Amino acid sequence: MRNSGAVLILTFITNLISQAAGVSSPGKPRLTSCRSPDKETFTCWWEPADDGGLPTTYALYYHLENSETVYECPDYRTAGENSCFFDKNDTSLWVNYNITVVATNALGKNISEPEEVDVVYIVQPNTPENVTAAVYDEGQGPFVKVTWEKPRNADTRSGWITLLYQLRIKQEKDKEWENYDAGLQKFYNVFSLHPGKEYMVQVRCKPDHGFWSEWTQTSYVTMPDYIPRERSLWIIITVFSVFLVLILTWMLNINRHSVKLCLLPPVPGPKIKGFDKHLLKSGKSEEVFNSLVIQGFPPTTDYDDLLVEYLEVYDNEEQELVLDGKDLSEECMKSKSPSDCDSGRGSCDSRTLLLEKCVDGREGGGSDQHQYSQHGETSWASTESSESQGPEPSSPESTDGRVKTWPIVFSSPQPQLHHHYQVGSAKPAYHSVPEILSHLSPHATAGNYPQLHRQDIPSHEGRFSKPACPHSQSYNQFNRDGSDTPAHCVPPSHSLEYLEVQRVNPDNMLLLRPLSDPNREAEGSDRTGEDYSKVKEVTSNNILFLQRETSHQFVDDYTQADHCTSQQSPHPRKPAVHQSYSPMPQEGMRVMVNGYVDSTVLMPSY
Amino acid sequence: MAEGSRLYFAVTVLMCAFVSINGVGLNDLLERASQLSDKLHSLSTSLTNDLDSHFPPLGRVMMPRPSMCHTSSLQIPNDKDQALKVPEDELLSLARSLLLAWSDPLTLLSSEASSLAHPERNSINSKTKELQDNINSLGAGLEHVVHKMGSSSDNLSSLPFPISTLGQDKTSRLVNFHFLLSCFRRDSHKIDSFLKVLRCRAAKRPEMC
Repeated sequence: MRNSGAVLILTFITNLISQAAGVSSPGKPRLTSCRSPDKETFTCWWEPADDGGLPTTYALYYHLENSETVYECPDYRTAGENSCFFDKNDTSLWVNYNITVVATNALGKNISEPEEVDVVYIVQPNTPENVTAAVYDEGQGPFVKVTWEKPRNADTRSGWITLLYQLRIKQEKDKEWENYDAGLQKFYNVFSLHPGKEYMVQVRCKPDHGFWSEWTQTSYVTMPDYIPRERSLWIIITVFSVFLVLILTWMLNINRHSVKLCLLPPVPGPKIKGFDKHLLKSGKSEEVFNSLVIQGFPPTTDYDDLLVEYLEVYDNEEQELVLDGKDLSEECMKSKSPSDCDSGRGSCDSRTLLLEKCVDGREGGGSDQHQYSQHGETSWASTESSESQGPEPSSPESTDGRVKTWPIVFSSPQPQLHHHYQVGSAKPAYHSVPEILSHLSPHATAGNYPQLHRQDIPSHEGRFSKPACPHSQSYNQFNRDGSDTPAHCVPPSHSLEYLEVQRVNPDNMLLLRPLSDPNREAEGSDRTGEDYSKVKEVTSNNILFLQRETSHQFVDDYTQADHCTSQQSPHPRKPAVHQSYSPMPQEGMRVMVNGYVDSTVLMPSY
Repeated sequence: MAEGSRLYFAVTVLMCAFVSINGVGLNDLLERASQLSDKLHSLSTSLTNDLDSHFPPLGRVMMPRPSMCHTSSLQIPNDKDQALKVPEDELLSLARSLLLAWSDPLTLLSSEASSLAHPERNSINSKTKELQDNINSLGAGLEHVVHKMGSSSDNLSSLPFPISTLGQDKTSRLVNFHFLLSCFRRDSHKIDSFLKVLRCRAAKRPEMC
C-alpha cells in the first residue's frame, strides 16, 4: 500500500517534471500507404507522430488474417525512412495483412490504427523506362513515334502482371496535355503535330487492376518544317475549282446565243419569205416590197367604183355577213395590236395580204388560203370566221380558221344559206361566194358555174393546188391558163360567171352581182377579162389596199398606195376595203413551189 | 433429292459447329477468357465501391473475416513463384473450381440485391445481374479451353455454399452482402490472374506478354 502510493507520487512527480520539461510520450503514428510495384513485394510507409520531445522509435508489426502470429517488419531500410519493405519471401497474395505501427520513446509508446492490406489491391508499377520520341516520315507526312520499355521489375512476360500504357504530349506553351492510350503496346505514333514546334512527351503505366504509375521524365522532340498536307489539299482544290470555273465560262460562251435567247428573248422580226430585213433597215421600201411581188401575177380587173377585193362571205346562224366579219374586226381589234409583224402577219407596213383574224380556232386554213390566193383571187378577201365553219371540209383545211386569211370570198359555205342569198339586190347577201355562185346559177343566164376565178392568168409561175372535188361547189376552182386544168375537179364545163362585189354596205354586207349582170355598170374597158385585183395590203384600220396590175395605172396608183394611210373606216367593224389601188409589179410576186403565193400576201392586223 | 440436300445441309452444319468449337485457337480462347475474367473483377470492384459509399461504420466491425469465405479451403499458389510452377491444367482447374463455387452464391446475391437497404441499390442490382451473366459466359468458355487443352474436366474441387440467406435484419443482410461480395472480389482476382498467366504461356505474341 505504501509502495503503490509511492509509485503514484513518483509518477505524478515525473509527469510534472516532464511536462515542465516539455517531453511526453509519442503521438500516434499513422500508416499512410502501402504499395506493391510488381505484385511480388510491397512497401508500407507511415507518418511519424509527435515524438514528444524524446527520441522515438517506430516499429511495424503485422499478422496475417488467418493466423495470430505477429511479425515485425523485416526491412526498415530499403524503402527509406519510415518505411517497411516486404520482400518476396514475406509477401503473400490474396491474404490480408493486419499492419500496425508502434511509436516508442522513453516515456511511452503509441500504436497506430491497424490497417488491412491485401497486396493484390495495392499494385502500382514503377514508371516506364527508356522513353524515346523521334520524328519519322513515311511519305504521309512527318509524325512522332514514341517508344518505351516496361518498368524494370514488372514481370509481364509470364503474364503475372499486365501493364497498360499511356502517354501525353504537349508544347511548352500549352496548358493542357493531350493523352493517348497505348494499351499493351510499347510504342505510339502521334500525328497532326505542328511543324517546327517542340513537344514534351511523358509516359506512364497501370496494371490491369491497380494504380497508375508516376509520369516519366519529360522527353523533348522537335517537328521539322514542312508544308502540311492540308495546305496542299487546299491548293489542289483551288486549282480544280478554277479549272471548273474556266470550263463553265467557256461553255457558257459557246452557248451564249442560246443563253442570251433564254435570258433575253429576241423581239421577233418579220418572217416574210423574201422579205429582206436589211433592205427595210436601209429604208428603201420599194426594194423591200419589190422582192415580195410575184412576177406574172394574174392581172386583175379593177372596178373603179367597186371594191375589188373579193371578200369571203360566210353565213352564220345569224346570217351575218362575215366579210371581215364584225366579230372578226371586233375581236381582232380588241385583241391584236396593230403592229404584229412577227408572224408575218401584217401591220401597216408589212403589207401582207393575209388578213389575220383574231378568232382562235382555225388554223389549217392557211394552206387553203394560199391556195386561194394564187390566182387572180388574191384580191379576194377571204375572211373566215369560225362561225361560218361548215361541217364539210369544203376548204380542205380552211375550216379551222386561224386568223390567216386571204381575202377570199368564199369559205365553207353552208348549204342552208343558199337560199338566203340574193344577188344583185339591195339586200345584203351574206354568203360565201361559192354559195353565191351556186345560188346564182339558177339565176344566171349562162349557167353560172361556181368557178369564181377562172381567168386568164398570164404567165403564172407556180401551180395551184386544187381543192378537193367534193367541195367543188364551194370552192374556188383555181384554174389557170396553161396550168393543170382543174378539169378533174371542175364540174362539166360551164361558162364562167364572175361575181363581183358591187359594194360593201355600211353594215358590212357585201353586195355581189354577177359580171354578166346587165345592171352592172360598165367598167373600164380595159377590164374585160380581168376582174380581180389583188389586195396589196390591209392596214391596221381594216383598210384593204388593192393593187392594180394594169401597168398604165402604175404611176398613178403608186402614189396612192405607197403610204400607209390611216384612213379610218367610218365603221370600225367594216372591213374597210378601200379602193386604194396600189399596184404592185407583178414581177415581184413569187409563187412558191407548192403553189402558194409567196410573200405577196399582206396580212392586215386588226 | 430432298434427302440428299438435307443430309448435305446437316453435314455442313455439323462441320461448322465443329470448326467453331475447335477452329478457334487456344490463344484466342484464352484471350477471350481473360478478357471476361478481367471484366468480372472490375464489376466486383465497382460493386464494392458502391457498397462502401454508404456503409455503416458498425458494419465494418461486424464484418466476418475473409478467412471465413467458403472458398478459403481451396489451396492456391500465394505468390508468383508458386503460381508459375503450377502446371497449366491445374491452374485451369483451379480457376474453374473457383468459378463454379461462385455460381450459387451469386444467385443468392442477385436475389438479395433488389431488397438491400442501401441507396445505391439499383446500381448494385444491375451490376449483380451482369456479374451472373459474366460468370456463366466464362464458365462456358473455360469448358472450351479444357477441351482444347485436352485435360480431363474432373479435377474440379467442390466448394459448397451452405448459406441460403443473408440474414434477418437489414443491417446483417447488408453486412453479409458486403462480406460475400468481398470474398467474390478476391476470388475473381485469383481467377483473372491465373487465366492471364495461362494466356501468356500459350501466347504466340510475345510483345503482348
